[in-house]
Amino acid sequence: MATAAHDLTSESLEAHERLLIDQAIAKHGNRPGALLGVLEDVQAANAHKYLSMAVLRYISERTGVPPSTVYSATTFYSLFNLDPQGDNVICVCRGTACHTRGSRILLEKLCLDLGLSEHESGETKETEKLALTTADNRFTLRTVACFGQCALAPVVEVNHHILSHVNERTLQREVKALTQGRK
Amino acid sequence: MPNKTISVRIDGELIAAQEGQTILEVARANGREIPTLCYLKGLSAVGACRVCVVELAGTDRLLPACTTPMQEGMSIVTGSAKLELYRRLAVELLLVERNHICSSCVSNGHCELQSLAQSLGVTHVRYAYNNPRLPVDMSHPRFVLDHNRCILCTRCVRVCAEVEGAHVWEIGGRGIYSRIVSDLKDDWGNAHNCTACGKCVQACPTGALAEKGFAVHEMVKQSDQISRLATQRASHANGANS
Repeated sequence: MATAAHDLTSESLEAHERLLIDQAIAKHGNRPGALLGVLEDVQAANAHKYLSMAVLRYISERTGVPPSTVYSATTFYSLFNLDPQGDNVICVCRGTACHTRGSRILLEKLCLDLGLSEHESGETKETEKLALTTADNRFTLRTVACFGQCALAPVVEVNHHILSHVNERTLQREVKALTQGRK
Repeated sequence: MPNKTISVRIDGELIAAQEGQTILEVARANGREIPTLCYLKGLSAVGACRVCVVELAGTDRLLPACTTPMQEGMSIVTGSAKLELYRRLAVELLLVERNHICSSCVSNGHCELQSLAQSLGVTHVRYAYNNPRLPVDMSHPRFVLDHNRCILCTRCVRVCAEVEGAHVWEIGGRGIYSRIVSDLKDDWGNAHNCTACGKCVQACPTGALAEKGFAVHEMVKQSDQISRLATQRASHANGANS
């Protein structure tokens, strides 16, 4: 039973995906700590910037690193995603400086605008790191503890560009531009 | 290379020790008791539980006895009011984090967390209980994993990796969301690497890992045997290296 399920997941990877992973593994060799580099490369090459369970299993098989260790490393670093990410990534800073200058309101506003519910689920608490993706896969909303740009608070990162002194209006304009830019 | 003999003080008494020994090893070899929880003789030490902290003369910082190597001239105190305070705090925080309900636990009466709490006089906790909603993994044919009772000591992780060599267990997530996971967070019953040897169950200090078919109070762990096995294996490995 377990074996059957196991084979199935390996099979579900396409040949070019397997090739890509093999190349990443070959590039990093067998030195200790190579796993992180492999995971990073494989995730960067993925269209939705995430690592599926099948990918993790394949990496584990190929490197000989136990699957539990692969999973542990992947879930420890917030850099790695286990779920498909949206086309646009918006990252709201929830550090102290940004918090005092109203980043919570920005976050709530974004949730409303994008139709994401962080509070309704009940599971997620205020303190938890957030990573929500819209149903149409257009946007992913994340939070981060601090960008180190506290003088520019509140700070929001949109597709790896940092916006400073953000208010609701500028944020809304930015989201609108992204939505229309894609249409 | 023979280890150098060093002289140290434990609770004021002058003691000869081997270089490279940890504070805990020296103390236990000389009949001093330091409470431990995540430490299991023979397995590598990680210093996760902070219960074995000791005082070192000349510094205000408390040091974990299980991971700190003894050095020439160290003067260690293994029991004091301050240590009691910190050890009790460590146990209280463990009790607060998950749902440790002794009266319904298979390991009631044979639990290291429970006996440690008793010996430290933890009659109550000062903090609000976390009351997390955690699953119980019953998928393995012989064993059960109850996350509610897990204290993340990683003894199961280490015994599986170091003694059995299967490396089924690992800690997934981080911080308060850390959980013991088998393989790629598969159900334990579907964990490909598991040999069903049961070493993790015997090494577990609480009722988090238990055998099926035991009622409350009935699960007696044989961590001594695991410890002996691990020690033999460790000394074999050392012998092969030198």
